[in-house]
This record gives sequence, C-alpha cells and structure tokens, in this order.
Amino acid sequence: MKLGFSAADEAFRQECAAWLQEQMDGPFADIRGITNLVSKVDRRRLWEQQLAAHGWSCIGWPKAWGGRDATLAQQVIFAEEYARAGAPNRINHIGVELAGPTILAFGTEEQKAKFLPGIAAGTDIWCQGYSEPNAGSDLANVRTKARLDGDEWVVNGQKVWTSLAHFSDWIFVIARSEEGSQGPKGLTFLMMKMGQPGIEVVPIGQMNGEAEFNETFFTDARCPADSLIGSVGDGWRVAMGLLAFERGVSTLAQQMQFRNELDAIIAAAKANGMASDGVVRSRIAKAEVGLRLMRYGALRMLSNTDLSAIDGAALTYKIQWATWRRDLGELAMDVLGQAGEVVDGDNYHWPMLPNMYLFSRSDTIYGGTNQIQRNLIAERGLGLPREPRGNL
Amino acid sequence: MDFTLSDEQLMFAETAETLFYDLVTPEHWRKLMESGDARDAALWNQIVETGLTLIQLPEEAGGLGLGALDFALIAEKAGYVALSEPLVDSAGVAAPMLAALAPDDPVLADPAASIAIQQEEGGLVLDADSAAAIILRKGDQAFVASPDQVTLTRRESIDPMRRLFAVEWDDSKVQPLGQADWDLALDRGAIFAAAQGLGLAQRAVDMAVEYAKERQQFGKPIGSYQAVKHHLSTAQTAIEFARPVVLAAAATLESGDIQSRARISHAKIVALEAADVAARTSIQVHGAMGYSWEVDVHLFLKRALALTSAWGTPYFHRQRVAARLFTQPVGPSTTFARENENG
Ligand SMILES: Cc1cc2nc3c(=O)[nH]c(=O)nc-3n(C[C@H](O)[C@H](O)[C@H](O)COP(=O)(O)OP(=O)(O)OC[C@H]3O[C@@H](n4cnc5c(N)ncnc54)[C@H](O)[C@@H]3O)c2cc1C
Repeated sequence: MKLGFSAADEAFRQECAAWLQEQMDGPFADIRGITNLVSKVDRRRLWEQQLAAHGWSCIGWPKAWGGRDATLAQQVIFAEEYARAGAPNRINHIGVELAGPTILAFGTEEQKAKFLPGIAAGTDIWCQGYSEPNAGSDLANVRTKARLDGDEWVVNGQKVWTSLAHFSDWIFVIARSEEGSQGPKGLTFLMMKMGQPGIEVVPIGQMNGEAEFNETFFTDARCPADSLIGSVGDGWRVAMGLLAFERGVSTLAQQMQFRNELDAIIAAAKANGMASDGVVRSRIAKAEVGLRLMRYGALRMLSNTDLSAIDGAALTYKIQWATWRRDLGELAMDVLGQAGEVVDGDNYHWPMLPNMYLFSRSDTIYGGTNQIQRNLIAERGLGLPREPRGNL
Repeated sequence: MDFTLSDEQLMFAETAETLFYDLVTPEHWRKLMESGDARDAALWNQIVETGLTLIQLPEEAGGLGLGALDFALIAEKAGYVALSEPLVDSAGVAAPMLAALAPDDPVLADPAASIAIQQEEGGLVLDADSAAAIILRKGDQAFVASPDQVTLTRRESIDPMRRLFAVEWDDSKVQPLGQADWDLALDRGAIFAAAQGLGLAQRAVDMAVEYAKERQQFGKPIGSYQAVKHHLSTAQTAIEFARPVVLAAAATLESGDIQSRARISHAKIVALEAADVAARTSIQVHGAMGYSWEVDVHLFLKRALALTSAWGTPYFHRQRVAARLFTQPVGPSTTFARENENG
C-alpha cells in the first residue's frame, strides 16, 4: 500500500492540468462547467474530438487503440484535473467507459478494429439499450427479439430509458435470440447502428425538465451477423461483464464532480449564514466524511486489477455513492432555503445545486436501484438465502 | 384533551374533498402547467360557492369566523390534490390579515377575489398577478396594493405549478394599513403549509401503493417485496405521527404564545419532513417512471420542497422550538402537563 503520487505522476498532473486549463479558458470556454448531458451537444462532440486529437479521450485504454496505457494513479489525476478545470461531463461516457472496455475484453480483433477507433476519436457516441418496459430491475426479462436472417440480425421490440439515444451513433442491446427462452438464457449482445430506418427514438421528459432518456423502438432494425459480442445466447454474461465497468474509473471523475457540488454547498452556506447553524455544520461534515470514504473505497477497489471480480467493495460502491449524493441534494436545498426554489431566467433551467437535487433522485434508481443493490450485497456478498422471486 | 373533530369540521373537509377529488385531476394540473394560468375559472367559482374562502374570515367581514383547525382540514385536502389555485394563502392568511387591518376594504366583500401576501420584506409573492389585492410588508408595517400599482416580475419556481413574483413598489403609490401582526400571519401560513404537507404526503404514498400493486418485476407485484413494503410503511408512519401534531397546533393557534408557536413550528417541521420522505419514497417505488415528467409524483416532491421553505424555513422553526425549551421552565412537573401555560 502506498498513498500519494510519485514525481512522475506530479509531472503528468502538470501536463494535463495545463492542457485542460488552456482549452477551458480558450476554445471551449463556452461549454465549461456543464454538468448535464444534453445541452450544446454539437460543441461537446467537438470537445470529445479535441480530447482525442490530443490523446486524452480514453487514457486508460491500450496505446494500440488510441489510449495511453495510463496507470491507475494517472487516471485518478486526469479525472481530478478534468473536474478542476470545469471541463463538461463526457457525452461519450458510455462509449469510452462501457462499450470500449467491453469490446476490449470480450470482442474479436475485427470488432476492435471496427468499433474502437470511432470511440477513441470521439466521433462515435454510444448508448445502452438494456431496460425495457417490463425489464427494469428484472433485466433478464427482456422481450426484444433478435432473429438471424441470412447475414444479418433483425431486431424487433422496445427499449426504454435509453440515455442519449437521441444523438447517439451506436447502441448496444441485449435481445432474446432464442425463441421461447426465459430469464438470462437465450440472450445475445448486439451492437447496432443508430439512425437507421428501423430504429425510432422518442424522448421522455424528466422531472428536472430535461430529456436525457428516450424510448427506443426497433422495427425490423438490422445489423450484420458479426455484430454480436460473445456467442449467440451468451449475451447475459457479456451484459453483466459490462456492468462491472460501470463501477470502474469513471467513478473517480464522478467523485470530482461530487467534490465540486459539496464545495458549492459550503460556499452557499458561508454566504447565507447557514454555516453557523449547528445542524447544517454537522451535516456538511458528515458529507465530507462520506466523500472521503468513497474516495478511498474507490481507490482500493480499482487497485484490484480484475474489475469483474465480485468483491465486497465492488458490490457496495453503487449504493454508497447514490445514497450519499441523494443526501447531498437534500442538504443543498436545506442550505439554500427559499433561494433554492427559484431560478433566474426562464425555461426551467436550473443552477447547479437545485438541478443536482432533482437529478440525484435518479441516482438511487438507474444502474440498479438501492433495493436491488441491497439484495445483491446480501445475497451475493453475504451469501444469504435468495428472497423468493416469481420466475427465477 | 379530545382529538375528535366536530361534525361541522368534518362536513367542510368532506365538501372540500369531494370538490377537489372531482376537479383537481392530473388533466387539470397539465392544463394549468401548459397554459400558465393561475387558476381554472370553473374550479375557482366552485371553491368560492362552497364557502371555502370564508372559513377563516371574521363574521364582521362577512366570513364564517371559524378557527385555524377548520381551515387546516381544508388545507390538508388541498395538499392531497396539490392545489395550485390561491385558496390556502389567500383565504387562510391574507384575508384575515386584511380584515383585521381594514375591515371595510371592498376586496373583502367579494368572496371570489383572491388576496396575495408578502411573507417577508422584499420576499417573493405567490399568485400576485391574479390577486385583487396584494398585502406588502415593510418592517412591521403593512400596505395594500392592486397588481397594477406595483411592478411584478415572474420568478420561476422549482414547482411548475407555483407562480412567484418579485414585487417592486413605491410607498407613496400604495395604501398603508399600519402595523400588522406578522407573527400571526406566519403562524397561520406555517400551520396551513404543514396541513398541506400532510395531504401531499398521503397522496404520494397512495400513488406508490397503487403502483406497487400493479407493477410486476420478477413475476410478482413489486409491493410483495419487503424492501418496497418497508419503505412505504416508514413513510406512512411519519404521516400518522405528524397529523395529530398539526391538528393540535392548529387548534391552539389563536393563543399566539410561546407554547403555541413552538407547537406550530414542530408541526411545520414534521409534516413537511413526512411530505419529503413520502414523495421521495414514492419516486423510488416508481423506479425510472418516478423520475419522469409524465408520472405526477415529482409534483409532490416539488410542492413539498417549496412549502418546506415557505412561511419559515426548518432552521427558523427549529429555533422557535429551541426558544421554548430554553426560556420556559423544564422538569417533570412542567413538561407535558402544563404545555398550555407560559412560565
Ligand atoms: C436517469 C436514468 C437514466 C437511465 N439510463 C438508462 C440507459 O441508458 N439504458 C438503460 O438500459 N436503462 C437506463 N435506465 C433504466 C434503469 O436501469 C432502470 O430504471 C432500473 O433498472 C430500474 O428499473 P425500473 O425503472 O423498471 O424500476 P422497477 O424495476 O419497476 O422497480 C420499481 C421499484 O421496485 C423495486 N423492486 C423491484 N424489484 C425488486 C425486488 N426484487 N426486491 C426489492 N425491490 C424491488 C425497485 O427497487 C424500485 O423501487 C435509466 C434510468 C434512469 C432513472
């Protein structure tokens, strides 16, 4: 165990800090500080490409595929500097953090050559087609069908809550390829081009007034026969492997955003006098403790080289941060008081903290609800007997 | 000590319930959100016709002269439907203040006229543009103006059905009413916000219970899972314990002493905490649906949030509870038995 960074790491920090600062002060100043995923998309596509052009789009990936083979320490540093510079949330988070690592881990050489360069270059934005109207927590209940027709898959069905589908170039879907199969068996993991006639995307409004997620309808949508990862009927294993990446390095960037949010709350409390309220002070202190807890937890978890290994830290991480941030949202509103209720300007556009409050309501839902996380911790982590469930 | 309500009280509450449940539907909310209107004329007329705007108004001013408890029961029903028509603040807080300061004001003679009120100096005013009169505050002094005598600027609220306005005004152009009892106004505003909180909370739980019975995952209704059941039970428990506090505080509001004030503060804190817990539980139980705009639970979360900081923030109300504890005698002979007396 070794805490702290080496001299080489510090030099790396200087390098990325300088570059990010220059970009955010200069050519990309207009998108600085954006934390949502839907505004100024065209500019942010350019930003993804700018990162790529300078080798910063996927530093944890192998050099051969456009990455830097960056060490964990370097990835931590980059995430910190990225947030410090106020660079906008990555609209290709799903491509860089989920699709890419999955293709690297499970894909063929041809697939790597076909898909990775577009992600690394920031030209291909990806979305995740898992959830369906009847397959939320019970993800294995997907009904979207895939049928092999000559040298193409033909896909029919519906996905829902597909974040960013409205501007994505690619989608990965889990679909039922074996007629009559049930649960996790008989599913296949497919990568499909968006924007084709058989795929229709309908945005869904969210309670914060934005529309990041969508309904995605497939009507005889097609992709070449070799668009599957793993083998036919083996999609569940790939889908679950991908979820392990969701707890990966992106959590570090997320923590930096959390840091910014907590700092904004502290600043607001100092400005409006709430900092002298004992209750508020101790809640802020508690939030700080929770944030540090997560930081060490994540670093510990990421030091484990096999990310797909189910260990206690990996199982508990999601509920920890989601619950922490939900509490942070409530703290923010309590500190702001009535000022948190109103917004300057129109169109229901929220400043950082009220928007965070609203958005944090979804943190305990997406990527596995808190209830499902607790079941996983108890059943997989602690080995308790499974709760009776209908069809499993 | 008797927590039973009179027949008259129950009758008014029932009238309000029937009216609201019939007319203040999700379609009604959508209509208001889309049009940006302050009220639906047909609904407002019916509210006025059933006499709900007259409950808190003294008899001398043409009202029914009933107490805060009677109106709190109506406010609870208003919360249940997330009513955005200006009934609660207008008839519960503003009209009684105007009646105390200017009983002959012609606005009081028109039961359909709504009155807006500024909670604190420089503060935003709810439904100011559609009001017949706006009560404004400077120090302890109150003034009354019509919307065209002042400059109103709409400020967007996190609650899409709340219409807030910044008011700019010139003392010389509005009518002075003299020194007003702002503490009483705050007590009324706070207790009726608390009562609305109870209604909001119950509706959020009811919506979640309904959904948990229908929505199936893993081949069973999600309501059959303990994780879901327990969350909803916790929210319902919060409501059950908040309700008697609200009713007790409303029943003794008029005494206006340190004890009754602390009780109102207690009620405001717990009722809006219940509303918050219920709304956030309801969203969680609805899964991603609960986070969407289409499903109405978010309206309850947002109204609860807005009412939490209206008429005194939780911080303010905690201070009032503490003031009772630190200035009044404590000890076994005083704690509960003498809570209606001031030391
Ligand atoms: C902002 C946001 C973005 C999203 N983005 C995407 C995306 O890009 N791609 C994608 O595929 N999906 C996405 N989702 C969907 C997300 O993965 C699902 O919402 C989540 O899996 C929960 O499913 P559900 O919404 O159907 O809720 P349900 O599964 O219907 O759950 C409803 C409630 O029941 C509880 N529950 C269900 N089963 C059990 C059980 N066995 N035991 C105890 N409690 C239970 C849940 O915890 C929850 O409280 C997104 C969701 C949100 C909110």
